[in-house]
Amino acid sequence: MHVRDFQTMNDADKLNGLNRRSFIAAGSAAASFAMAGAVELKAQDAENKYDAKASPPVNVGVIGCGPRGRDAIAAMAVLPNAPVVAVCDTYGAYLRRGKKAAPNAAGYEDYKQLLADKKVQAVVVATPTHQHRQIVIDALEAGKHVYCEAPIAHTIEDARAIAQAAKKAYKQHFQVGLQNRSDPQRSFLLEFIRVNAMGTNAMARAQWHKKQSWRRDSPIASRREEINWRLDPKLSLGLIGEIGIHQLDAVNWTYDEPPKAVTGFSSIRFWKDGRKVGDTIQAVFEYADGLNYAYDATLANSFDAEYEMFYGSDSAIMIRGSKAWMFKEVDSPLLGWEVYARKDQFYEETGITLIANATQIKDQGGDAEDKARRAVEESQLYLSLGSFVNNSHKHLSSVEDYITLFGGDTGLEDYLVAELNGKKEAFGSYIDGYNATVCAIKANEAVAGNKKINFSKEWFAI
Amino acid sequence: MKSPSLLPKLTLAAALITSVVTAQAADWKYYASQPVGTKMKVDGTSTVHDWTIETSLVGGAMELPPGFPMDPSVASIPEVKETPKVKILIPVRRLASGKQAMDNVMQQAMNAESEPMIQFNLTELKPNNEGRKAGDPLSFNTKGKLTVSGKTKEIDLPVTFHPQDDGKLKVSGETKVKMSDFGIDPPAPKVALGLIKTGDEVKVSFDWLTAPK
Repeated sequence: MHVRDFQTMNDADKLNGLNRRSFIAAGSAAASFAMAGAVELKAQDAENKYDAKASPPVNVGVIGCGPRGRDAIAAMAVLPNAPVVAVCDTYGAYLRRGKKAAPNAAGYEDYKQLLADKKVQAVVVATPTHQHRQIVIDALEAGKHVYCEAPIAHTIEDARAIAQAAKKAYKQHFQVGLQNRSDPQRSFLLEFIRVNAMGTNAMARAQWHKKQSWRRDSPIASRREEINWRLDPKLSLGLIGEIGIHQLDAVNWTYDEPPKAVTGFSSIRFWKDGRKVGDTIQAVFEYADGLNYAYDATLANSFDAEYEMFYGSDSAIMIRGSKAWMFKEVDSPLLGWEVYARKDQFYEETGITLIANATQIKDQGGDAEDKARRAVEESQLYLSLGSFVNNSHKHLSSVEDYITLFGGDTGLEDYLVAELNGKKEAFGSYIDGYNATVCAIKANEAVAGNKKINFSKEWFAI
Repeated sequence: MKSPSLLPKLTLAAALITSVVTAQAADWKYYASQPVGTKMKVDGTSTVHDWTIETSLVGGAMELPPGFPMDPSVASIPEVKETPKVKILIPVRRLASGKQAMDNVMQQAMNAESEPMIQFNLTELKPNNEGRKAGDPLSFNTKGKLTVSGKTKEIDLPVTFHPQDDGKLKVSGETKVKMSDFGIDPPAPKVALGLIKTGDEVKVSFDWLTAPK
């Protein structure tokens, strides 16, 4: 029983020395301590003097303190090795909120000042999509490691400029905010799907439904225009690009190829406020051999939120964030382990839970603070930023050690290619980010134009 | 957790490498560590599974006195009159097992932040002609000062020299050391299964590629 549990018990419980929750959670020794009215001191974990999770810290600067940037700051507050030392936003109110979320950080209105801050080793770029290009290129020029949110840009030209800059900056780590790629559950599922555990792939489907306006308000007209970039057809990649890119990337990753064509539909069904960007969209992506992926997204309805489905002749797989289930066909072969797996009922379908690390039984107890911390730790953004910081440290320490031993950077690029690739934690590279962004840009073109577009190989050349 | 800058300490190490060169006479041959082609491995045990950590980034240099035996076709390796100068530097944080969690524990156990370099300095070298046939690799028994985690201990290190066709020189060797000899408590991290206890004795093996400068 923890000291804290004892202190939160009410007086009656204290008299009894018993608290039902802690009684169940604690072992018998702890329970008898409680009955005796004694407070058990938490045993010093002599064996655990090493923190297996923490590679050395990398100082991070966050550029863009809107909702996304602040989510990133919150995730890094829980990471053991990602101190946020600087935050930046051109908008005073957002900058203030950013500094509140990261009280020890220096605040800047101009991102160039943040880049000039020598304490900053890595940056997270969480500005609106169309502002990524110059910021990312300048950050790489300034020697920083860069995490760039997806989509990386709103035009192929900008995306290419970013990818080329990332390739040139070989001494730094560049990672794209394709969160699925850093989620170990997703890698596990990828292998599962690819070994044909599902039989023959018939098709895939995904959706993203959330009733919300996307229109933001502000008393200042110029500010209003700025924060409604998502509703500007010249700047926004719409639902398919800004949101659907993650799900589209998941399908491309699973099929190991980009789509050959996309047919899109866009309408404004509910939010009739003069906007031109669709609030309800559908798209069908074509892959090789008649394998298609159907996607729909809407701001008009929230039913069933977000998920991806892969349909095979032996089973279907449903993926929601990090959680996944397998639904077997009645005539599919017995795998064996599914007899013991946990199952969830979905109306008339039985879903067999698929978990990457089934032996790790996660601690589910704790107070509101523990639950909140766990909610962050299990989020894909947390995993993604965690891998970014670990990978950045691995990269920068490789460069430092090489230069120390060999006096300069001759041969450094070859060494990094030979030694770093494959040794980093799984992440979305500049190539993954570029490919996904090109797909998102073209998909949005098809959706917004209510037409079909055939993908051209030359779009994917960096 | 503060991360002190490792650069000042490491550049000092770099300066030490060059001091190997300037001390010697002109007819000694200088070989510099190559950035590619070296492999160093540490094999260990634990109550759960064996483990291996490796690195390919090894720095340093060696200087061989004139007349140092380089011909493996001899039936008996002649005595070496002057001890070669050998200094090897291995950045601790480059040692990797392929599992991030284990690497983090290992780096902390070895105090990588404050003692970033493993160092080896040769003190004695004698030919090993025991059971030798002409054509066998050039085999030597050496002694040297090994510094790990700030602690130095003299160790025995049998090595073989392999002159390459392109003029490069590969040195291979293998020895057993104990973590506790260097003040390192064999890590016993807690995992889902319970407690893993690491074995104290580890086997260090390497193939070090150098090239004449």
